[in-house]
Amino acid sequence: MRTFIRQHKQAWASLKKKPGFVLTVLMTMGITLGALLCAVTLNYLLLVEPLPYPEQERLFVAEHKLIGAKNETKAVAFTYPGLVHLYKSKEAFEQAAMLSYGGDVIISHSSQPLINAAYVTPEFHQILASPLALGRLFEASEAIDTYNPVAMLSYNTWQNEFDGSADILEQKITLSGISYRIIGVLSKDFIEPELGEIGQKTNVWMPWDYNQAGERQRESFGNISGNLKFVGLLKKGVSPSQAKQLLTPLVSNRWVEGVADTDFFKGWSIEMRVRSVKEAILGQSESIAVMLLAGVIGLVLIACANISNLFMARTAEKQRQMAIQAAIGATKTHLFKAMLAETTLLMFMSIVLALVIAQTGFYIMQQYLGAVLPRINELSLNPITFGCAVLVTIAFALFFAKLSIRMINYRALNTTLQSSGKGSGLQVSKKTRQVLIASQVALATVLVFANFSLLKDAMKTINAPIGFATENISTLVLNFSSTDFPTQEESIPIMAEVMEKLEALPQVESISQGRSPIDGFSIRALTNVADNERYTPYLKGADHRYFNMIEQPLIQGDNFTLVDRKDENNVMIVNQAFAKQLKADGDVLGLQISMGGPDPFKIVGIVKDIAIPGDTPQDQNSDAVGTGVARVYVPNGLGGQSFMLKLKPGQTVSREQLGKLLAEVDSRYSVFSFNASSDILTQSLFSEITTAVTTAILASLVFLLAGIGLYGILSYGTQLRRFELGARMAIGATRKHLVFMIIADNTKAILAGFIGSIVLFSLAYIGLSEYIQPFLSWQMVPMIVVTLVLIILVTLFACYWPLRQYINQPAIFSLRGSD
Amino acid sequence: MTDIKIEMKNIGKVFETDDVETHALKNVDIVIRAGEYVSIAGPSGCGKSTLLSLLGLLDMPSSGSYIIEGHDVSSLSLDEAARIRNEKIGFVFQSFNLIDELSVFDNIALPLQYKKELPTDEFIKARVEACLKMVEMSHRADHKPNQLSGGQQQRIAIARALVADPAILLVDEPTGNLDSKSGDTVMAVLAELNKNGTTICMVTHDARYANMANIQLKLLDGQIVKDEPLKVAV
Ligand SMILES: Nc1ncnc2c1ncn2[C@@H]1O[C@H](COP(=O)(O)OP(=O)(O)OP(=O)(O)O)[C@@H](O)[C@H]1O
Ligand SMILES: [Mg+2]
Repeated sequence: MRTFIRQHKQAWASLKKKPGFVLTVLMTMGITLGALLCAVTLNYLLLVEPLPYPEQERLFVAEHKLIGAKNETKAVAFTYPGLVHLYKSKEAFEQAAMLSYGGDVIISHSSQPLINAAYVTPEFHQILASPLALGRLFEASEAIDTYNPVAMLSYNTWQNEFDGSADILEQKITLSGISYRIIGVLSKDFIEPELGEIGQKTNVWMPWDYNQAGERQRESFGNISGNLKFVGLLKKGVSPSQAKQLLTPLVSNRWVEGVADTDFFKGWSIEMRVRSVKEAILGQSESIAVMLLAGVIGLVLIACANISNLFMARTAEKQRQMAIQAAIGATKTHLFKAMLAETTLLMFMSIVLALVIAQTGFYIMQQYLGAVLPRINELSLNPITFGCAVLVTIAFALFFAKLSIRMINYRALNTTLQSSGKGSGLQVSKKTRQVLIASQVALATVLVFANFSLLKDAMKTINAPIGFATENISTLVLNFSSTDFPTQEESIPIMAEVMEKLEALPQVESISQGRSPIDGFSIRALTNVADNERYTPYLKGADHRYFNMIEQPLIQGDNFTLVDRKDENNVMIVNQAFAKQLKADGDVLGLQISMGGPDPFKIVGIVKDIAIPGDTPQDQNSDAVGTGVARVYVPNGLGGQSFMLKLKPGQTVSREQLGKLLAEVDSRYSVFSFNASSDILTQSLFSEITTAVTTAILASLVFLLAGIGLYGILSYGTQLRRFELGARMAIGATRKHLVFMIIADNTKAILAGFIGSIVLFSLAYIGLSEYIQPFLSWQMVPMIVVTLVLIILVTLFACYWPLRQYINQPAIFSLRGSD
Repeated sequence: MTDIKIEMKNIGKVFETDDVETHALKNVDIVIRAGEYVSIAGPSGCGKSTLLSLLGLLDMPSSGSYIIEGHDVSSLSLDEAARIRNEKIGFVFQSFNLIDELSVFDNIALPLQYKKELPTDEFIKARVEACLKMVEMSHRADHKPNQLSGGQQQRIAIARALVADPAILLVDEPTGNLDSKSGDTVMAVLAELNKNGTTICMVTHDARYANMANIQLKLLDGQIVKDEPLKVAV
């Protein structure tokens, strides 16, 4: 033990003299191992770690798979009565629950916040054994068809919306005109299964009976919804495939019966899919997680190669010292132990840094990737992380110590002393070093270029002009909080008054009825009456102020008028892309388009194209190639309950203010959502922004690693040439001479590296041409130039930096020890 | 006075390591005139190598003034020092310090490559061959240094030191790594060079070789204790 401590003290003392070396190892290994720990923990969580529910291995979701007449899958989604039928049948599952999600506004609350609601049968929380902070879970008294108006809150909702009030169980909450008594608050530790979407966070739980499905949907076997879920505990001894065999005929027969009178569904059937809850939650995320791990392992390997270089350089530097130790009797084991003490110390410090970085990584992922990766809130430093950390520390410490000691020819150490340290036992030959430089340059060039290309692509999408204004424009969607819905006729005067009041607000510049393009379009099948050609463009209802407000230019024909909307005229405005699809010359004014109804629509205007991130052309027919996304617009009705508000610059309107205004007009209305278009635009660019950030970080990291790697090799080489440098200085070489000499000596290797990168690219091209082809263009030239310049700069730096300690001191410094 | 090659006045050199100050040289005055052969002797650690590295501008003195052929070189930038070394000083090291990758010819030509104005190839060739002849190594021009014996390597090092026609040849323990026979040849070469007019300043332990110089300096604890022209009187 004493020797152990002494060795580590010595190692520490000797490392303290090389802060640059220590810092480089720390940063490189710390950052990359931090990323590794992050990725390992994430993969373990997603792929291995059981869900935090009792009997989670028996937790399964059942899904409806709609099978068409040609045995093809049409959709995976339940019909409402189909789900209820499955639920009531109680087959295969010991206990099962239905649930559906929705958004709603807490009307009873002064700020009238929009919350996420979930409607569940009591079994849901019973199966999950959801922990409570207060009160009780749903029970038989909330079973299906009991219509018992009670609610459970999430812990955060209790804290944020009710200020954690102690008498919460005596309070009520009003949603959509129904007052629910609060009977329970879930514990802070409750982890919600993300069955609806990744990042799902339900605020208020209500009994199944109150779900948002309309009367018709509840009856209709012809109406599917992705929002209906079935989850349950499989009976002991029943496998998922057995469950599927059991449930399929049960559900399918009922469904076929239900749609018997609809020709459209002739020949269709239902097949059940039974998946573990874990699999359902994981979804596509598995591949993201695994790719992340693979990428990080790649980084760790590059880092490891780099640090190996540094250790070789350090060993070269310590060779003389070790020779002396050997001369006075140190065995090879002694030397190895001393080396191990040093590598252990370094790896220990690195792993501590890595743990800090991993923890920071978890935090960042939880902040930004909550909607991309499931179960992210469960991420934390856990035994797996620490186990992995310990393993990695030991493995790398041993590896680097072994590598260093292997370089030393123990028997040759003694001669080292006699021949005064020069030239003897050159550990890493010049050729090996040149190969290392070349491969480093090649790898860095490829990786930096690849990341740059992805970055540029993402930036292009982010910065692409969208063709319409979003500045100061927000979309307001109203919530109707009563159980008896108004007819279109009734709502027209109410909406007119709402609009009048909104427009009178001092902050509001103008108003339009309908939603911003960024809120989405629907897709509609249309027929050109002239030639019966079918199209499926994006469709949107717009009012007569829509195009003006979003500054989308009308290039031909007329805008909608108020009369068009009042009289429900069959007029249509199309964009240029659709005009081109309809007729090559784009002259489509007056053309008749059928939407399936008795009277076709007449095209009255053509507007300029807009580009919404993520929207892709629907039509794959050859005419559509090269044109933009086809869009059509029809006049919307006067009773619509959503609006675009354009605010004056610098002005804001709060949700509360709008809520008050609505209450003045009609107390049944409240604000459902009020979102700035620019925010929604940013959200829709989320994946591009994530890509941009990730690639920028990766490029910088690769760059840093390449710099460190090249520095390692070159500093090793320079170390070996110390006396030669001294001799050259003694006979009159200036600093410039020496810098140029080192650069010239490495030029060949660097050029070889560039050629290597071209070879790598060519290989990638042969293997992955379909992915790379779209990137190939003259636009690549500046990217190539930038990459080359950056790599050359890094290389020049790596040439100069190790040299500086010799050439910026009197020549005697380099020569000392040579005599 | 123009024949004064080197003039050191009141030179001091202090090494500061951690908190210890080592006064390696104190109040050293040296004058070396054209054609002189100076030897510096003294016990280990007395400052011989330090003095030689100051003379050769490999290091800078802590105090005092240093003039080479009328140029004050007491405080120069690193690159200026390199330039003066290149033009005025030839250095011969105990461990030769030849560059293994270069041939004998290229090793000798190296100082000319570092000249401010690069000489023509013909000039270089002529100059290198002349120097090779001076050290009697013409037949080995195309060899690599590690194919030569120690004594031969040292003669090549001398040739390299001479090639740029320096004001003075500084030699540090030239025989330290050699057996006595090779040492004798090297010393003979130096004596011959001096006879032909080369100014030499040499550090040596060996009293026998020190006696070959016509001025013998003794260093003790960083100070010069004896400065006697011997052979001049003879
Ligand atoms: N870089 C340095 N840092 C600190 N002290 C030094 C340094 N170089 C030399 N010294 C000290 O200066 C003094 C003179 O050293 P120098 O090498 O000139 O001795 P020397 O006469 O050449 O000895 P030797 O005959 O053994 O080669 C010594 O006491 C030495 O410890
Ligand atoms: Mg000495």
